[in-house]
Amino acid sequence: MATQDIEPGSEQMLEKDTRETLVTVVRHGLLLLWSFIVLFPLYWLASMSLKPPGQANSLPPDWIFLPTVFNYLELVQQSDFVGAFVNSLVMVGASVILVLLIGVPAAYVLSRYDVPMERDILVWILSSRMLPPIAVVLPFFIIFRELNLFDTRIGMVLMYISINLSLVVWVMKAFFDGIPETLEEAARVDGATQFQGFMKVVLPAAKPGIFSVAIISFIFAWIELLFGLVLTSFEAVPVTLFVYSFIGSRSIEWSMLAAASMSMIIPVAIFLIAVNKYLAAGLSFGVVIKE
Amino acid sequence: MSTPTQTETSNSQGLGRLSDLWNEYLPYWFIAPMVLVMVSITFFPGAYDLYLSLIEEPTTNIFAAEFAGLDNFRTAFTRGGAFHSFVITVTVVVSALALESLLGFFLAALVAGVDDSSSIKSFYRVLFILPMAVAPVSLATIGRLMLNTEVGIIPYVINSATPFASPAFLSDMPLLTVILLDTWNWTPFMFIIFYAGLSSVPDTLVEASRVDGAPLWRRYVHVIIPYMKPVVFVATLIRMIDLFRTFGVVYGLTQGGPGTATQLVSINIYEQMFINNQVGVAAAIAVVYLVFVIAIANIVIAKVGFEGVWD
Repeated sequence: MATQDIEPGSEQMLEKDTRETLVTVVRHGLLLLWSFIVLFPLYWLASMSLKPPGQANSLPPDWIFLPTVFNYLELVQQSDFVGAFVNSLVMVGASVILVLLIGVPAAYVLSRYDVPMERDILVWILSSRMLPPIAVVLPFFIIFRELNLFDTRIGMVLMYISINLSLVVWVMKAFFDGIPETLEEAARVDGATQFQGFMKVVLPAAKPGIFSVAIISFIFAWIELLFGLVLTSFEAVPVTLFVYSFIGSRSIEWSMLAAASMSMIIPVAIFLIAVNKYLAAGLSFGVVIKE
Repeated sequence: MSTPTQTETSNSQGLGRLSDLWNEYLPYWFIAPMVLVMVSITFFPGAYDLYLSLIEEPTTNIFAAEFAGLDNFRTAFTRGGAFHSFVITVTVVVSALALESLLGFFLAALVAGVDDSSSIKSFYRVLFILPMAVAPVSLATIGRLMLNTEVGIIPYVINSATPFASPAFLSDMPLLTVILLDTWNWTPFMFIIFYAGLSSVPDTLVEASRVDGAPLWRRYVHVIIPYMKPVVFVATLIRMIDLFRTFGVVYGLTQGGPGTATQLVSINIYEQMFINNQVGVAAAIAVVYLVFVIAIANIVIAKVGFEGVWD
């Protein structure tokens, strides 16, 4: 804006300049308004988790208070919470590793080979995302009881894989499409097998894609409630179910509930910020990176 | 001396044959696990839901099952309230999708227009994705904390700062509350994809339309949005699919109530199965829901098509 020199006496220029200033002011006004809408609920939850239990619900609210980690300490002493948190970390983590092992090689094949009916296969893969989880979990609830997989971490890992496989295949196919084939051809000329070419040349080049899709898969599994609700009762309870049963308890300890929710949100928020550059590519199933 | 050498040779031959097999059929090894898992999470549940919906008592022994015809479907759509829950679901999906798309696009356009040199641009971009970090069940927590008629901050502010009496959000307007909470949660999804799409529109294209003297809205409708059509299409499609999966926020917030005011199809199925113990009815609704969602998604895909998305 500063590049537009205003010549003395040029009213038109001056008018344009005021208009641009006005646009800028309105733009930032609206953006600040949305920033407030985004931040206030998060601030409120965080502040409630940092208030001593008796002070959490006082109205008018105590805007100024002495923050305390009391609620978090109480929470960590609850073996239910720690167990659920660890469960979620282990189950979601394992599911992400497995879904990458299953999905990334498949995406590579779909990207590099002439697979018959490729479009139909891709839509079929996407359709696994269209199936409502409740319709998927019903049969698995019955089968898991037969197979003794009910309320086990293994069973939950399998279900978490089902949420993310379509995402991994689609995004990674798009990433592989963007890596020139000449790279592998050069490696093959040097005597590498197709597999070695994939491991040593293609995978390193696709690292950002793998990284972002891993984190997005982690998030989608981490926030999932239904599978925990239906398929676990005690041993394999995920942290979402812990928070849910907390809401359901008769006498709600608001500040503890806030602390439990915050400890679920913080790791995900850090992940989101870490991959924010690749988020669009991952969330759009790989469509955006083609631009 | 010679024995170990021989063993080594034969060993490497055996391994060599294995590795030949591995290399020759590499694409098959690579794609097989995915196909296996995909079959077991698509065809299997669909077929099993159908099976459960057609029999009297749930049993894993197919030969002992008693065929029930369409009884379960009839029950689902009479006493089961299936129709009502479909209406609720479609209402939530359509309104939330519209709100999230429009708001997401508007915010993306606002941020894209911020001066490139200012660091505040990336500040907005990062800040606006934060609501996605909130799991649906945590969002339900936030909703219950802030909207509670006795201790919630929002009713308090409305009562004390405006002349109006605050509505009881969760009992007077539960559906709207659910839609607005979901909008807060998932507008970032649309924002981040639209923002990336807008950033990919070449400056020359925008400049050219500006020189034409076209008003702002026409520039968007006729130049910018058509250019990023694949992005708009995919973002909307995926968000729509995910909206049909909604469960956690509503179940944590209202459990489908008050009454059945927010009883989404997914909540209806859950309750038929685990509260009423009506496995057949639950499966019948699940089958209809499956077909319904896949049909809608495929109609959208066929109508708009993946042109520009693929090749």
